[in-house]
Amino acid sequence: MNPLKKFLNSTEKHFTGSGKLNRFEPLFDATKTFFFFPSPKVKHTPFVRDNLDLKRYMSFVIIALLPVLIFGMYNTGLQSGLAKGETYTIFKSLLTGARFVVPIIIVTYAVGFFWETVFASIRGHKISEGLLVTGLLFPLTLPATIPLWQVALGISFGVVIGKEVFGGTGRNILNPALTGRAFLYFSYPVSLSGNIWVAGNPAVDGVSSATALAIVAREGQTITSALSDAGFSLYNLFFGFIPGAIGETSAFCCLLGAVFLMITRIANFRIIIGGISGLILTSLVFYLIPGGNDSWLNAGPLYHLSAGGFLFGISFMATDPVSAPGTNPGRWIFGFLIGFFTIVIRVANPAFVEGIMLSILFMNVFSPLLDHMVIRYTTSKRIPNV
Amino acid sequence: MKSISIKKGFKLPLSGLPDISAIQLPEPETIAVSAMDIPYIRPKLLVKQGDLVKTGTSLFCDKKNKSILYLSPGTGRVKQILFGPRRKLIEVVIDLNKNQDKNEAFVKFDTLTLKTIKAVPRTTLIKHLQDGGLWQCFRQLPAKDTADENLTPAMIIVSLNGNDPFSPHPQVVLDNETRYFEFGLKVLQQLVKKIVVTCRKDSLTRLNGCKPFITHVVPDTYPAWDPGTVLYKLKRSEKENNSWCISAEHLVLVAKLLLDGRYPVKRVITVTRSDDKKPHIITRQGAPVKDLIGQMDTTGIITTGRFNGRSVNPDSHLGFFENTLNIIHDNDGDEMFGFILPGLSKPTVSKTFLSCLTSTPKDLDCTIHGEERACINCGYCTKICPIDLAPNFIMKALHADDIEDALGFGLLDCVRCGLCSFTCPSKIELTKLLSDGMDAHFKDKE
Repeated sequence: MNPLKKFLNSTEKHFTGSGKLNRFEPLFDATKTFFFFPSPKVKHTPFVRDNLDLKRYMSFVIIALLPVLIFGMYNTGLQSGLAKGETYTIFKSLLTGARFVVPIIIVTYAVGFFWETVFASIRGHKISEGLLVTGLLFPLTLPATIPLWQVALGISFGVVIGKEVFGGTGRNILNPALTGRAFLYFSYPVSLSGNIWVAGNPAVDGVSSATALAIVAREGQTITSALSDAGFSLYNLFFGFIPGAIGETSAFCCLLGAVFLMITRIANFRIIIGGISGLILTSLVFYLIPGGNDSWLNAGPLYHLSAGGFLFGISFMATDPVSAPGTNPGRWIFGFLIGFFTIVIRVANPAFVEGIMLSILFMNVFSPLLDHMVIRYTTSKRIPNV
Repeated sequence: MKSISIKKGFKLPLSGLPDISAIQLPEPETIAVSAMDIPYIRPKLLVKQGDLVKTGTSLFCDKKNKSILYLSPGTGRVKQILFGPRRKLIEVVIDLNKNQDKNEAFVKFDTLTLKTIKAVPRTTLIKHLQDGGLWQCFRQLPAKDTADENLTPAMIIVSLNGNDPFSPHPQVVLDNETRYFEFGLKVLQQLVKKIVVTCRKDSLTRLNGCKPFITHVVPDTYPAWDPGTVLYKLKRSEKENNSWCISAEHLVLVAKLLLDGRYPVKRVITVTRSDDKKPHIITRQGAPVKDLIGQMDTTGIITTGRFNGRSVNPDSHLGFFENTLNIIHDNDGDEMFGFILPGLSKPTVSKTFLSCLTSTPKDLDCTIHGEERACINCGYCTKICPIDLAPNFIMKALHADDIEDALGFGLLDCVRCGLCSFTCPSKIELTKLLSDGMDAHFKDKE
């Protein structure tokens, strides 16, 4: 027998029934099922079951996030080097980036699992795999410069208020990771909307750099040339060699993840395609309206697609099945409107430079309504049977 | 011959397809009539332990309609009447007469001929069938309860294929029975105006005599041949909801009873095992499971339909409505890091295992592969439901005790194919919840 299995089996008695540590049963169970995939016999019809389960389902999102995460670490290191006036090698960039990013992820998972365990113990159910995804999505939306106590506060809010008060994974209305980020965004705007997103030691903190979406062109200059003056060429925006939140900079890596999720059918392609087409159409409309040459109004679809966190949000946040609609027409509308609102918030709202977070949360609230309308329509098409 | 197009359903090729040949099983020592496979029955026993019975003697009836009789499929002595918890009848076991010759004693019923069938009034015909213990072959949708004799349904659906993907092949079942099948259709004409005869596409090629009678061909995706699915695709108005259905095998039994005046006991069954290609077995109704499966060498389970049957133990007997046994093996146990392995040999209808790239027949085991979680609204159940239901939303409506909403979403169209439970990544017992919801609704109605 596998020694690890032997160990788990021998310690199981302490965690179950009247064992001393029975309060930690959910934690023990989560550990055990992580290593050894549980597969009890079927009790009811049908007597055969598909191999896909929620653990695998959620793990696939993690796999899709790996390119984003690794590039995010690399880019954090790279930008930190650039701020000091040095160009780091790939390896050094990665190491430097990891020094900033890994603690954020560790804090997120630790605090997130703490809350999850507390609620699972009180409610007497198992720890859900949803946190695996939330715990990686949340750090990727943050700038590498964020203080760790704010990370802890944000994920606590996201898990407790965003998810657990509604009854845990599967019953939440809003995306927990985005709820946590929105909390931080409005509570500590300096950390999340400021200009100092380049990680580094305090000596170089004075280096400031605006995010691409905050750029406004000078009189008589077009937005695109203003962007390339500030180092935001379309190439840099698309591949992500720019300062920004850890995971959002590289549109390319987000697209890689999105394609993987769509091929494996973990994310619904309707939301992603709908969202991208919504963004393209809306930005085209704004592009064709005369005037506004100096602002993001006139940036056009390609810049809008590559800048900011839109692709990250639409690929990983909007496709969270729990907070998205459960019907196909609903998913199209949901995706499209996310794209639409992202552009509207970006260009027509001076208060927020980035729109994806707010538009996803806004549409999350509407997804039950979308489902309701779609189901009412499809039900009316059925031949009644009562 | 029209074809019905059904896009959703279970398309994965499975291993263990039975061979088309047939063998005769020697007479079993005991046979039984089981009450476990009869939907909604409240049995009332008509025999006692030790009674002598002949082929065609009534063993029990249904309290809801006492003219619905379940007859003995053999001549012998009642060996045992098995009860389950709360004195629920499980089965009536009969010791077959050992030294009987070819001329087994049987109860004689009135006969009809091709000429007289046209003149028989409907009520007399129904009476014939009820006395002959075969009225229960007629099932009434949506719940597949025993047909209501006072109702003239809009249509009757005759399906040539059974409940499981590996149910007996119609060619074996209807071999040399064309005459009876044709007569059976004549009987149906006396009862119902519109007759629909459906057959799976891949059963069609081997079918000989009965081919001209088929009106609709259904695709090879499970459960396209289920009468409920066929009805969902064919119905145009609310009136057709209470259509009847009957399997081709039962229709032949009905014809035999009416033509020969004797309760027919021959059954064709299949036994499937994933690594095996067993022939069809010709045996008597209610044969013991252990005689049919032979040596049971795994710790798996035996079912009478992997998606929608019941689990049987080797000591029990096959029921009146059952004609297939699936031996589904167990899995080796907890696999290390099983949730993230590539899974070249793990069958799935999703696209998350490498196995979805190959088209070799897959082998499903009888374990859940995971743990139950809350519904995450992923929509896999909606994607596979053959009758376009949204089982996740119906489940939520039922949890909220909102039966009106659940019915509005089409709960009663559910054919209990089991695919929503099969595919659910959260391992929610959707089929059970929906099925229980339907049953509660019918209990309420009664």
